[in-house]
Amino acid sequence: MTRRFEYVQAEEIRDAFARHGVRYLFLGKSGAILLGFPDTTQDADIFVEKSAENGAAIVRALDELGFVLEPREAEEVRRGKDFIQLKDGPFDLDLIFAPDGIESFAKAWSRRVDIEGFLVCHPDDIIASKRAANRQKDRESLPRLMAFSDYWKQQR
Amino acid sequence: MADDTPCPLTEATWRREFEAASRRPLRMRFKYAFIHTYKPVLDDARYRSFASLSEYRAWCEANLPSWLGYDQAL
Repeated sequence: MTRRFEYVQAEEIRDAFARHGVRYLFLGKSGAILLGFPDTTQDADIFVEKSAENGAAIVRALDELGFVLEPREAEEVRRGKDFIQLKDGPFDLDLIFAPDGIESFAKAWSRRVDIEGFLVCHPDDIIASKRAANRQKDRESLPRLMAFSDYWKQQR
Repeated sequence: MADDTPCPLTEATWRREFEAASRRPLRMRFKYAFIHTYKPVLDDARYRSFASLSEYRAWCEANLPSWLGYDQAL
């Protein structure tokens, strides 16, 4: 089974999340790629709103997408445990309820970017979260990501 | 702290890459952007959860090979 995140799977996430009313935003490099950043990544990072209603909607959508969650795991998603890695579904998915560098979901939502129905964090928020993470791999990619952000803003 | 300002040649190269990417449809960008290679330790569990990102980062630093790039140390 391929574990690569395919376009059709992104469409499935988009559509399943829309059907279940999930409040989400693509974040990280996967978000930047949706905005047009030419780079590679291995998984999809999704920033999800922390609320009981949204947590329940996420669990329903994940079930529909083919992610298998044990009862304890589903409960952690429902209550919005800060960071959850899923590697037992059709592709790798990181659920982030509280990313560093972003003040609140509401603020990020207010400046979201819609790319063909995919809801994506604004590049400033993607950069802020990568800056806050400050991992070696983030430090290496940040200068080019910042240059892309400038380019992206010029094009809008 | 090292100056990570790109040189003009690098900036021009990046700009050409951004322009080229902007001409590709989203489906094509996806096809070449998402890859999968096995990451030791990180890929060896079907589910993990952390009470905070700092807890996750501490776990990465303690458990992942440094060459994966998840550590924060300079």
